[in-house]
Amino acid sequence: MWTKTITGNFAKVIHGLNANQLTDQVIQRSKRMILDTLGVGLLGTSTEVCHKVAQYSKIYSSDLSSTIWGHLDFRLPPLYAAFVNGVAVHSMDFDDTWHPATHPSGAVLPALIALAEAFPQKKKISGLDLLLAFNVGVEVQGRLLHFSREARNIPKRFHPPAVVGTMGSAAACAKLLALDQLECKNALAIAASYAGAPLANAATQIKPLHVGNAAKHGLEAACLALQGLQGNKQILDMDSGMGAFYTDYSPQTLPTLQSYPWLLDQQDVAIKRFPAHLATHWVADAASSVRRKLVKSSENLLPLDKIEKVTLKVPEVKYVNRPSPASEHEARHSFQFVACSALLDGSMSVESFSSENVHRPALRELLCKTQLEHPPDNTPSFDSLYCEVNVTLRDGNMISDRCNTFYGHWRKPLKKEDLEKKFQSNALSILSAEAIECIIDTVYNLEKVEDCSVLSTFLSGQSARALPGKLCFL
Amino acid sequence: WWLAPEDTVTSSFASFIHAARPEQLSPTVRHRSKRMILDSLGVGLLGTSAEIVPFPQELYSSVAVSSVYGKPGVKLSPTLAAFTNGVATHSMDFDDTWHPATHPSGAVLPALLAASQMLPPNTKPNGLDFLLAFNVGLEVQGRLMHFSTEAHDIPKRFHPPSVVGTLGSAAAAAKLLSLSSAQCLHALGIAASLAGAPMANAATQAKPLHVGNATRLGLEAALLAARGMEANPLILDDIPGCSGFSAFYSVYQPKPLPVPGGQHEFLLEKQDIAFKRFPAHLGMHWVVDAALSVRNLFINYAGSFSPSLIRTIMLKIPVSKYINRPFPSSEHQARHSFQFNACAALLDGEVGLASFSESSIQRPELRELLDKVVVEHPEDNMANFDKMYGEVALLLHSGDVLTGKCDTFYGHWRKPLSKESLLKKFRSNASHVLPEEKIEAIITLVDNLEDLSDSSQLACSL
Repeated sequence: MWTKTITGNFAKVIHGLNANQLTDQVIQRSKRMILDTLGVGLLGTSTEVCHKVAQYSKIYSSDLSSTIWGHLDFRLPPLYAAFVNGVAVHSMDFDDTWHPATHPSGAVLPALIALAEAFPQKKKISGLDLLLAFNVGVEVQGRLLHFSREARNIPKRFHPPAVVGTMGSAAACAKLLALDQLECKNALAIAASYAGAPLANAATQIKPLHVGNAAKHGLEAACLALQGLQGNKQILDMDSGMGAFYTDYSPQTLPTLQSYPWLLDQQDVAIKRFPAHLATHWVADAASSVRRKLVKSSENLLPLDKIEKVTLKVPEVKYVNRPSPASEHEARHSFQFVACSALLDGSMSVESFSSENVHRPALRELLCKTQLEHPPDNTPSFDSLYCEVNVTLRDGNMISDRCNTFYGHWRKPLKKEDLEKKFQSNALSILSAEAIECIIDTVYNLEKVEDCSVLSTFLSGQSARALPGKLCFL
Repeated sequence: WWLAPEDTVTSSFASFIHAARPEQLSPTVRHRSKRMILDSLGVGLLGTSAEIVPFPQELYSSVAVSSVYGKPGVKLSPTLAAFTNGVATHSMDFDDTWHPATHPSGAVLPALLAASQMLPPNTKPNGLDFLLAFNVGLEVQGRLMHFSTEAHDIPKRFHPPSVVGTLGSAAAAAKLLSLSSAQCLHALGIAASLAGAPMANAATQAKPLHVGNATRLGLEAALLAARGMEANPLILDDIPGCSGFSAFYSVYQPKPLPVPGGQHEFLLEKQDIAFKRFPAHLGMHWVVDAALSVRNLFINYAGSFSPSLIRTIMLKIPVSKYINRPFPSSEHQARHSFQFNACAALLDGEVGLASFSESSIQRPELRELLDKVVVEHPEDNMANFDKMYGEVALLLHSGDVLTGKCDTFYGHWRKPLSKESLLKKFRSNASHVLPEEKIEAIITLVDNLEDLSDSSQLACSL
């Protein structure tokens, strides 16, 4: 097929990649991503934004349906299941982050899981199919991000998941649906017309919808392509195509299919340890370390009245610069908030962002003493930024610490036990202990799973004991 | 950094949407908007018969309360109905065009029709409410486009209906659903995250989705806002370092709307719409009128239309890549080709629905004419629907040159379609899917829209 265009080349690769080409490292990394994503999604079902979205989506119910994670009481058509679950994944900003910057898994996994459950002609989708499609979706996102130098830095204009995430979801779903090359091309073209959301909705309740919509619209694009709908076959090549989202845009063809070099092989994701913008993770580690130096007595309380000021040396990222956040969404996007919380409590957790904690007087007091500085060498890129926390005491002493690489960053990945702990902790309030263990087992053995819709069953909260026949992968 | 709520551009929009009243609709505005509604319904009805990809309905709902153009037995969920009808409206590029450039009605009307059927019987908005909501949707689109000088020209990057249309739909739906001022604010913010489609899909089968999605996603935004979803309250304001709606433009200067209360001059009052006479991009209408004019001269000169006498066909057109196509190969491309439309007009003496059929596009005589076409972009021919012109010159083998020029085609806002012409277009379009009585009933309903006590009747009549 004529693939002189980049768009055609993408379609060829999406179509032609097969499971044999998945390397061990890619498999391992992507399974970690899948597990983490499910966990944050389950936790996210308890958020307000998720409740609202689920209520809204209940308007749409039909015979064909997919699981809503954490819910046995209702199901939704695949598109809305993808949407609701995608929103859940990003609802607390707890999901994975890649370099160049985007949240790759949330845009892809919910769509694939929903689709696998409600597949046309009731065909069974294996775990390996899912794993492959997942990686196709992630790969496409990464490759698109490499088309623009802008994408290397923390974004300013469009929120990347809404741009590349939609395309990734379309590619992944196209793969799972086994679309032919032309259909893959059209899936990409159609998806582009759904892509894009302005960054200004970050730090609001709408941000999670960016990921939910990416998943949903990518799935829709693939379905429309399957129906024969056609778009611009050079969508990735043109400035008036994908190029519309960038000021500098230089698309390139993908490598040849022989021993395909997956980006995930060369560049891992960062997994978050607490639910907030990735940039705050550097701040948290530095602040925790400063606190350990400050707190010597057995009382274990931060000597607030001894603190004159707190200075944070961070990169310049406007939407994470919030001196006085008023909501959980704002708090998750605030250098200042995370620094003060970590100083007060020693570490960050899900509870750090509860309403009581966001508004507690001690925190507010400390926030008033906090300022930011933007050293010119601190570039706003997740690969190179650092954070320094300086606490100046009234007696003139200064305690400080610098974090270059937080634990969970791709340079210092979470250990297996800690990844699992995060998942268990997240899923605990939603699922039973056995369902939790079943999901962990299923994901770790994904290649051997014959029918990946078991995942959906576990995710819904259905008792694992009720499904003896489904655990057939060992 | 913190602005009092009333001071922001975004909140001025929300206030406007929330507080606009029917009394503020002037007679001109009412009249013009009713014409737009009628035309939009007609092209939508026609569009349902086009070879639009059947939507995978089984993936969606059956809380089906909203009507689909031309399919009396069928009902879909409101957003899906809006989507389907929006796609139908733009499916043949036959819908209205405004200045600055967008297709305003298709992005708004389907959402309103669908929403009107959603509401419980005792809260149905009346016809005047409907007309007001429609105009709120148009007004927001127009005002947004005035935020950027880029928007005055034929677009290059994002397709305007997908940008301003989505927010227009959200505004209109918010109005019809009587959302509070805060909810109107958030509807706009949510809609912004659903806006924007690149131009590259113009002239493809996917283009109609832009209008379908604009109307559907705008409605979704309003429904989410109604449920308390909150977005960035400064979405329309200029936020340096963190783009809101400005993300879609390289030059962006937002301005607040006038404070509600008292008079409000709607943009539609000063700036009317263009209605298309045939289903193709607006730019084509200039070259067609120019071509028809030179064709007459040629027939007088030669006795009949004799292509063999023509050496070159010279088109003087503005620069706009996506409508400059020497050899279109699909109906979508043909609707976006200066060359094709000029030649079809020369060959046939008219351009209509049938001009874009597969067989018509592939005719050898037409291809022969296309081979003779040469294109020029005079500097004074701006890519702007208010200023552009079309010129067609026939350079004959004999050495003689015949020229036709069109500054303002019939249907443009400077030379609006007469009532008869508009009705003729509507009847012709609607007759493809509806019987005569229904057609006349719709005409009457729209004409008397303000007097309708239950505006969902309009949706039901389709």
